[in-house]
Amino acid sequence: MRPQDNIKRELNLTPFQALFKKEIMRFWKVVGQTVFTPLVNASLYLLIFGVSLGKSITLSSGISYLAFLIPGLVTMATLNNAFQNTSSSILGSKFHGDIIDLKVVPLTLNQIVSAFSLGAIVRGLTVGAITFMVSEVFYFVTMGEFLSIAHPFQLLFYLTVGGVTFGLLGVIVGFWARNFEQVNAIGGFVLLPLIYLGGVFYSLENLHPFWQKISQMNPLLYFVNGVRYSILNHSDVPAEKAMMISLISVVVLYFLARRSIQKGSFQKW
Amino acid sequence: MQHPFEVKNLKKTFGTKNHQTQALKGVSFQMDEGEVFGLLGPNGAGKTTLISILTGLEQATEGQAFIFGEDVSKGLQSTKSQVGIVPQELVNHGFFSINEVLGFHSGYYGIKKNQEYIDYLLGKLGLLPHKGKKVRELSGGMKRRFLIAKALVHKPKLLMLDEPTAGVDIELRNSLWEFVEELNKNGTSVLLTTHYLEEAEKLCHRVGIIHQGELKAVGKTSTLIKDLTQREVLIYFKEATKIESIYLKKQTENMMAFQIPSHMELGELMAKLKLDLTKVIDVKIREGRLEDAFLSILGDKTKNGNTK
Repeated sequence: MRPQDNIKRELNLTPFQALFKKEIMRFWKVVGQTVFTPLVNASLYLLIFGVSLGKSITLSSGISYLAFLIPGLVTMATLNNAFQNTSSSILGSKFHGDIIDLKVVPLTLNQIVSAFSLGAIVRGLTVGAITFMVSEVFYFVTMGEFLSIAHPFQLLFYLTVGGVTFGLLGVIVGFWARNFEQVNAIGGFVLLPLIYLGGVFYSLENLHPFWQKISQMNPLLYFVNGVRYSILNHSDVPAEKAMMISLISVVVLYFLARRSIQKGSFQKW
Repeated sequence: MQHPFEVKNLKKTFGTKNHQTQALKGVSFQMDEGEVFGLLGPNGAGKTTLISILTGLEQATEGQAFIFGEDVSKGLQSTKSQVGIVPQELVNHGFFSINEVLGFHSGYYGIKKNQEYIDYLLGKLGLLPHKGKKVRELSGGMKRRFLIAKALVHKPKLLMLDEPTAGVDIELRNSLWEFVEELNKNGTSVLLTTHYLEEAEKLCHRVGIIHQGELKAVGKTSTLIKDLTQREVLIYFKEATKIESIYLKKQTENMMAFQIPSHMELGELMAKLKLDLTKVIDVKIREGRLEDAFLSILGDKTKNGNTK
């Protein structure tokens, strides 16, 4: 066959769709590891903190600790999995050596960033939704009723924007990292403290004012509280502030993700 | 006519300010459409760097590189769509089968339904029975062929092969070259780097020789060989013979080895030697090879019209 003969090309959507499909298929091929392992984590948190220890914790808002914990766990599951999806995909490609494909093929920067982010949000929302369903089972068994969602559309907004933000963070870390040590350092020294100090397990009102100020610098706090407001109609921070910071985070990280692809490493490890 | 690639004063420096390596030192040449062009040079000459700049993997420090007239530094989709690259290093693709990878790759080039052509390529490269296997399950030779299929899914006008036969057995090498010749006959321009100079001599219409980041020679393969090599003529005699000649290089009791310029004919040599042909048993001629031209350039022994 002659080169370029009888060939129909569509370079606006098709390259994006191909990378998006690859991102989905990648985590779906190891669904046990990518989707069901986080469920075990969430169940353990619910059992230990929510059901067992939660009985002895009282919050001034009058909300049960189990109800308080569930939005935090759903946010943590969504955001963490969104981050894992992009970062491990890029790191895996660096390890296998096929990362150079992204430079050689006619994918634009926007197509790469969008496809990775959307792949991240699909995995994030899948794990987030399953975590919520498992949480509902725990809640029903403990409280005798299901936990209702106060603002469903806002819930979808916070989880989607949060998932995209953390997916973008995974893109940045993935392209920036030059070895596995750097990735582990980011996970251990940045991401884990952000998650655990983001108000998943405790309310800001229980903290010393100094630590309250420190916590307010953590962007994760706003996603957690946005989701908590959407489910419980209760939040440690004003809902408008949470929405504003979520949107600013996603825009800033989008541009940083583009930059990381332009300047990042495509070397095989 | 648009050149599949053209480089103008291309320079590339790697490293920090204190530790700089100049991989390309101002290289200018181009390839003609429809040809098989061989980029030759020893390890570390700058061949892969040049290919990396042409495919957008590296940015040039100075100078310009064009693919079919488009500046590669702009990273245009239209530029990338015209090129297929087979990298030197073998790569894996994680959890995906080779058929899935080729499907994704077609999509990256804007082609939605390409299974028919993927099957054609896999068949041509002997990979059809393995299409469900993951890349890491393939042997080294199969991986190499898979990379060629991957570079061809979008029917590129320019195919770049960076050491495609490194570590590949002779049978597979021959079948790969046959396939490359077939692609070229159908209109694909081919740029290749190889260490097998015999194969380059057979396949390439033109070659460029780079050494330590500089273009040492470029031109038609046959012309370079003619200009840069000499013919060796061995004459065997019935009995010990004595001849004086500036072309005489080696002599045993009844054999003489002469080195003559490539353009000199055998008759001319015979006439100059004033040989009595009744004393001659046999004459053997060894023509100059690309390898000789290559070594002569790298050794800087010969300099003439086509060398730079």
